[in-house]
Amino acid sequence: MLLPRVAPTSDRSRGTRAVVANGVGKAVLNLRRLTRGGGSALPGLVAERIDPRMVSRLVAQLPEGVIVVTGTNGKTTTTKMIVAVLEAQGKTVLTNRSGSNLSRGVASAILERSAWRGRLLEDIAVFEVDEASMPAVCEQLRPSTVVVNNLFRDQLDRYGELDTTAAVIGRAIAGLDGSATVCLNADDPLVASLARYGDRPDIRWFGVDAEGVERLDHDAASDSDHCPQCGHALDYTKAYYSHLGHYRCPDGHVERPTPELSLTSFESIDVHDGASRLTVDVEGDSISIVLPLPGLYNAYNALAAMCAMRSRGVALHDATDALSHVTAPFGRVEHVDVHGRGLRIILVKNPAGFNQIIQTFLGHPKGTRLMLAINDGLADGRDLSWLWDVAIEDIAPCEFVLCTGGRAADMALRFKYAGAEADVVPDMVEGIAELLRRTPEGEEAEVLANYTAMLELRALLDSQATLKRFWQ
Amino acid sequence: MTYALTITHLYPVEMNIYGDRGNVLTLCKRMEWRGITANVVDVGVGEPFDPSRTDIVFAGGGQDRGQVAVGLDLQSRTDALLEAAEAGVVMLVVCGTYQLFGRRFQTLEGHDIPGIGLFKADTIGSTQRLIGNVTIETRWGPMVGFENHSGQTTLDPGEAALGDVIKGYGNNATDKVEGALHHNVHGTYLHGPVLPRNPAFADHLIGTAMRRRYDVELLEPLDDTLERAAAKVVMDAPR
Repeated sequence: MLLPRVAPTSDRSRGTRAVVANGVGKAVLNLRRLTRGGGSALPGLVAERIDPRMVSRLVAQLPEGVIVVTGTNGKTTTTKMIVAVLEAQGKTVLTNRSGSNLSRGVASAILERSAWRGRLLEDIAVFEVDEASMPAVCEQLRPSTVVVNNLFRDQLDRYGELDTTAAVIGRAIAGLDGSATVCLNADDPLVASLARYGDRPDIRWFGVDAEGVERLDHDAASDSDHCPQCGHALDYTKAYYSHLGHYRCPDGHVERPTPELSLTSFESIDVHDGASRLTVDVEGDSISIVLPLPGLYNAYNALAAMCAMRSRGVALHDATDALSHVTAPFGRVEHVDVHGRGLRIILVKNPAGFNQIIQTFLGHPKGTRLMLAINDGLADGRDLSWLWDVAIEDIAPCEFVLCTGGRAADMALRFKYAGAEADVVPDMVEGIAELLRRTPEGEEAEVLANYTAMLELRALLDSQATLKRFWQ
Repeated sequence: MTYALTITHLYPVEMNIYGDRGNVLTLCKRMEWRGITANVVDVGVGEPFDPSRTDIVFAGGGQDRGQVAVGLDLQSRTDALLEAAEAGVVMLVVCGTYQLFGRRFQTLEGHDIPGIGLFKADTIGSTQRLIGNVTIETRWGPMVGFENHSGQTTLDPGEAALGDVIKGYGNNATDKVEGALHHNVHGTYLHGPVLPRNPAFADHLIGTAMRRRYDVELLEPLDDTLERAAAKVVMDAPR
C-alpha cells in the first residue's frame, strides 16, 4: 500500500484529519470485503499511516474500557468466552473475532466498527493480542484489564526465546495505568513472574487445585520449569501439563501464588463432542459449570475468562450460563462431514497444545484413524524441531496414521522413532483422498493440522470442486 | 554377545527447548533396532557425573537463562570433560552447549560466559540472528538442519569444522563452515533435531562408541528411506 505518510499537523487540524483518516480506512475495508473477503489487517495499516493516534481516541470513547487477552495458547477461546459473558449481561462488545491479533489487526477491528464520523457505539472492547504486540497495543488502547493465560514455546524462529516474550509482556504491564487489573495464571511460573513488573496493586490469580488430573508419561514440553530468578529447577508438588502446576523454588525465590479463583474439580464428561464439568471455588463459594469444550486447557481458558469477569464485578453465577453455551473458535475442534465420513479437525501449533490434544482425544485405545497435516510456512514457524518434544509415544495404537503436507516426512519420522508406523502422502489433496479411502462411510477420523496446513485443508474441504477430485 | 552403551544426557531440563532430546531418542532407537541396549542417564546442574565412564555424552540448546546456570556448572567439570575428550569419549553438543564447549561466549550485553575451551573457538553475541534451513557437506555426506542462533562462533585457524556450508550460515555469517570437531567431540548449531534426519552421522557416533567399548564397528544397516525423504525436504527447501 503506497500511501504517503502524512506529516503531523497542528492540534487545530487534527479533528478533521481523524474523520478523514477513518473514512479512508473504512473505504478500503469495504472494498476488500467486496472483492475478496478477508484482508483484516489492511484497513488498520492504512489508518495507522494517516493518524496513529486515531485508534487511541476511538477506544477512549468506550464507557467500560478495554480488556486485553494474551498468552501463547487459548487467546481466541478466552476472548470468545469473555465476549459471551459480557453479551449475556446485555452489553455491546467490540472484539477482533477473526483471530487477527497483531496491532494492525486490532486497529482494523476498531475501524470496522467505528461509524463514519469516528465514533464507537459499543460499551466495551475485548481483544486478543499477540504477545509481541502487547507493548504497542497496550500503549495505544490503555486497557483496564489484562489477562495472561500461559507462556509456552511457540515458533522460536519468529519470536525468539520464551524469556524474551515474557519480558516484552512485562514491559506492557509496567506501562499500564495504575488502576488497571492484571489477571494471571498462578500455575505458570513464567506468567506468575510477570507480577513483578511495575508497581501493580491489583493482580488477580487463577489456578487449578483439582485432584486426579493425569499427566502424560512423555510430556517433555516443560519450557519454564526453572526459577525465573536463580535458574534452579523448580520443585513441583502437582504437575498438570507442560510447566503448569504447583511449584516452588528450592531456594525460596518463587512459589506458586494462592489463586482467588480455583478449579477444584475437573471431569471430562463427553470426549467425543467435547464437554467437561468444572467446579470453581471463589471466596468460599463453589460454582459448578458444564463447559461444552474438552480438555484441561479449556478449563484454564474458562478460569482466565472468569477471573477477568470477576475483576469487572460480574458475579460468577451470572457467567456460568454464557460459558455453558460457548463454542470452539475456527479450527480448534471442528466436525466436518466429507462424503459421509466424520472428520474431527483440530489445530496443533506447539508441544504444549499438541500434548493437550493427545491427552484429551488420543490417549485411549479406540483404533483411531489419524491424519496429521504439517507444513513449514512462515506462519507455522519454519523450525519443526518441536515435533520431537510432542508426546507421540502417548498416542494409543491407531488403526492407521497418515502424514500429509510439506513436512509429512518429518512427522512420520517422529512416529517411527516413537515406535509407530505412519504413511507419508505429502500432497494434501491425495492425503485427504487416501484418508477417505481408508475410512469407511459412517465412520470417523481425526485430523490434526498446524496453522497453514489447517488453512489449506479447510480451503480444500470447502471447495466442492476439490471434494469431487478426492474420488478420482 | 550382548552389547550395551551408556548415553549421558547433560542438562535435559536446562537445555530443552529446541527438540534436542530427539537426538537421544534417535541414538537409543538406532541401537535398539540393532540389539544394542541403550542406558540413558540424565545429569542436571550440580549432579555427579564421570565423563570417562560413559560412552556418549549429549547436550542441547536452551534459553540464555539456562545457559548461564549451565555455564557455571560446566566450569566445575572442565578437567573431567577435557580428559574424557582426549580419551576419545564420543560427544555431541548442540547450539548453546556447543558455544560453551568453546573458550568463551560474550553476550550481546557484554557479559562474558567462560566456556571449557574444548574447542579452540570464541562466540560473540550479535544483533543479527542466524535463522533458517542449513545444508552442509561432511565426511558422512550431506547433512541438514535448522539453525537459530545470535551467537557467532569463530574457530581458530587449524581447528576442524564439522562441515562446509552449502546452504545457510553455519558458525557465523561469513566463514561458510559449520560446527567443530575435536577427537570424537562434535559441536554443531544444527537443530531439527540433527540426528533423525542425518542417520549416517548418528551411526558414526554409535559406531565410534561401539569400537571404543567392544572393538566392533560393523553396524547392521537399517532402512533409512524415511530419514532420507525428510532430509531431502530440507535440502530442497529455501533457506
